[in-house]
Amino acid sequence: MARVKSSESCDTAELVSAYLDAQLLPGELDIVATHLADCAGCIAEFHRLKEIRAALRTLPFFEMPERLLPDTHLGEQLSAYLDGQLATTEHGFVLSHLEFCTDCRLELHELDAARTAIRSLPGLEPPEFLSVHRERIENERWTRRRIATAGVGIAAAAAVVFVTFGPSPDVGGNLDINQFFDQHQVRVSVESGIGVLPAVAPIAVTP
Amino acid sequence: MADEFTPTWEDVARIYGRKIYNFAYRLTGNPDDAADLVQEVLLRVRKGLTSYVPGSFDGWLWRITRNAFLDGVRKQKRRPTSPLPDDDRSILGASPSPDEVLASVRLSEDIQSALLKVPLDFRECVVLCDVVGLTYEEIADAIEAPVGTVRSRIHRGRKMLRELLTWPV
Repeated sequence: MARVKSSESCDTAELVSAYLDAQLLPGELDIVATHLADCAGCIAEFHRLKEIRAALRTLPFFEMPERLLPDTHLGEQLSAYLDGQLATTEHGFVLSHLEFCTDCRLELHELDAARTAIRSLPGLEPPEFLSVHRERIENERWTRRRIATAGVGIAAAAAVVFVTFGPSPDVGGNLDINQFFDQHQVRVSVESGIGVLPAVAPIAVTP
Repeated sequence: MADEFTPTWEDVARIYGRKIYNFAYRLTGNPDDAADLVQEVLLRVRKGLTSYVPGSFDGWLWRITRNAFLDGVRKQKRRPTSPLPDDDRSILGASPSPDEVLASVRLSEDIQSALLKVPLDFRECVVLCDVVGLTYEEIADAIEAPVGTVRSRIHRGRKMLRELLTWPV
């Protein structure tokens, strides 16, 4: 038989609201449930709190005055949302926005319809004459690739030759940029049409 | 996908504005004060977003909201004003919205006036839980207090409300 006493004298009194809100910590649920089964005072308290909680939760939820709302909409976020390209938080924001914004919901439906229409277009076979062109393009691409590969090989060989037989620092091949600049300025003053800074600086300096 | 999205203040206004407004309205019982609070919060959010480090956005926002509300309470204490009776609000030209008309339902009025009699510490926890819909942990984050404190305040706040209400709920 349930005991009748003031609920406040029970150790679990303060846990009744948390029990209602499903906010008890692990291990507390059993304690409260067992206690409620045996304590008439706490059961009565539980029902009173349940009533007041229900009344609070049915209070009307007002709209914020429109003057406080910025007049912006989701825009390009809508397409990213449709394509599943938003990060989790941004996705949540878009969802929340869509809950109350009729304009954006309408735009989303339109975008979705357009996206579906585009994606449902049938895949077409190319006309006969295009396949001839395609073959020619493939051949040209293949030739270009071979030339490029050969070019890389030649450049590599040239680099090896230069490193092996080129000027060494010990034989006066140091690239003194100040010296080069002075030499170049002299040449500029003699030969017209030469800029102070060359378009491409020479790599090797003759001793 | 890395989740480093930080909302703009427009996002905050659109998504959280209504919740902030209702939080403020239930705490103050006054639509003008509630609107002022929303404006103040959005202003602080706009400034704060520049230095915001992605994390618990809700916690960050509700801390701002609560601090803005408490600052407003402190200011009002320095300059006490007597609120206009509801009937005199028309003098200011404010026409009631359909929602405000709904709010005049007896039940809501009774709960609202009882809420205003509950001490602020308890009232804010009850409102954040039952009106805004935050979990105990989120409330603890917002008011910067342990979850145990939140739990106790919600329980005691609801009990006070129940005692203040004379009608059978």
